[in-house]
Amino acid sequence: METAVELERAGINLKPSGRMPDGEVALAPIESGKTVGNIEVEDPIFRCRDVDVYYGAKHAIKKVGIDVAKSQVLAMIGPSGCGKSTFLRCLNRMNDTIEGARVEGSILLDGRDIHDKKQDVVQLRARVGMVFQKPNPFPKSIYENVAYGPRIHGLAADRVELDEIVHNSLQRAGLWEEVKDRLQNPGTSLSGGQQQRLCIARTIAVNPEVILMDEPCSALDPIATARIEDLMEELRQSYAIVIVTHSMQQAARVSQRTAYFHLGDLIEVGETDRIFTNPRHKLTEDYITGRFG
Amino acid sequence: MALSLEGHTARAFDGDLSALHIQAVAMGALVIEQVQVAVNAYSSWDRTAATLVLERERRVNLYDAEIEEAALQLIARRQPMAQDLRAVFAIDKVVTELERAADEAKKLALAVLAESEIHGFRPGAATAREARQLGRLAVVMTRTALEAFDHLDPTAAAAVVEQDQEMDAEYAAALRRILTRAMEDARQVQAAIEAAFIMRSLERIGDHARNIARHVGFIGGDFDPTATGVIPPPISVKS
Repeated sequence: METAVELERAGINLKPSGRMPDGEVALAPIESGKTVGNIEVEDPIFRCRDVDVYYGAKHAIKKVGIDVAKSQVLAMIGPSGCGKSTFLRCLNRMNDTIEGARVEGSILLDGRDIHDKKQDVVQLRARVGMVFQKPNPFPKSIYENVAYGPRIHGLAADRVELDEIVHNSLQRAGLWEEVKDRLQNPGTSLSGGQQQRLCIARTIAVNPEVILMDEPCSALDPIATARIEDLMEELRQSYAIVIVTHSMQQAARVSQRTAYFHLGDLIEVGETDRIFTNPRHKLTEDYITGRFG
Repeated sequence: MALSLEGHTARAFDGDLSALHIQAVAMGALVIEQVQVAVNAYSSWDRTAATLVLERERRVNLYDAEIEEAALQLIARRQPMAQDLRAVFAIDKVVTELERAADEAKKLALAVLAESEIHGFRPGAATAREARQLGRLAVVMTRTALEAFDHLDPTAAAAVVEQDQEMDAEYAAALRRILTRAMEDARQVQAAIEAAFIMRSLERIGDHARNIARHVGFIGGDFDPTATGVIPPPISVKS
């Protein structure tokens, strides 16, 4: 195509390089706690307000406020070190285990503060389960991996009930057909994708209300990833899901709401449909279009 | 504020997106010229110019196919998001508008080259003047829209909507005059019908320019649902 000739003949001046307008609008300094978009939802399972997290002197999360809706997947995205995983770990007090970590602000689970002195942390972590980046089955049989939680929480009266819980959990995690004939094999004998689904089965075996997922697919191949994503869509009918992911495509595929974190601030929250087509904050736009840094 | 297609961390993405954009602008430049030549061919009854329009129509179609292919490739390889996604989507739509505008120009050329009893009526001086007037407006509108698209400037694109109102008024007036002449001399009816179709084609080119302007607004994040309206408002031809 004689592009240049065409343009010249029509008298259109092309600036071959630097087609961009000069003087981009300078960004106002970020004001912590001023999130763009609606942080509230109706009848939330989690209501977090003014959450600050410090690791020693480092201020890792700054005045973050957000609701987590029931029966929805909330995706948290942002560059490395933006605080999204730190915030996720606040939701079931996993930060308690980190020395020097301090969490301030209010995090209400079904209206009750999870930092309340009467709150049993083991109970909390049963209600708010977690799936990690790397599948981490216990060094036990497939059956025991799933049965362990219900047993220590006393969810089954007898072996028959326990069998049923294990069966249902593996079924819901989409793993039953693949493992039903080898329940006594070690969990670690499964493939990476199967191990991750085993961890999901283990999480849902104790009837949680919320499932937290920290990069659950980053160690998996695309097919195993697709199965987990499919599973998330099914699970969200019964549980609220909060997922941290580096893959924006994944966030766009699986979530209904998306939150963008940047250097400890929650910059923008919104419907996933809108965030990936028309974000309102320039930092969000820059990040999701790959113009970051 | 004008928008930017550059600044990606992956610089090759800048190149792909800009190349797509420049191709579409170049196609627009070709289409503007097609319209200009077609209007001249019709109003001066110039068969050579009309032939040129038909020959170059193939290049317009080639641009259309190439840009569509490049846009598909870019989506598959880069998975554009937000403003980039809107840009690729809008570029593809702009190209469709341009291709249709060129089709209208082709109709003018075909009228000049037609040799039948129901087509190929050489316009009289008055009709030729009206074609030139509407043609000038169509070119101005397409150029304004294309410049706004080139600079990705939604504010500049907004001017096209105003120009379109002027076009609609001129079109209605031209139709009225053509009908009046036909009523005065019944032998002119068939020529008047063809002239009315020519005016309609020019008015449609204006509509395509207006749609291009709206697509520029869309890149800027304007999700006004009425902005996609391709149906022009009804035109009254009452005298």
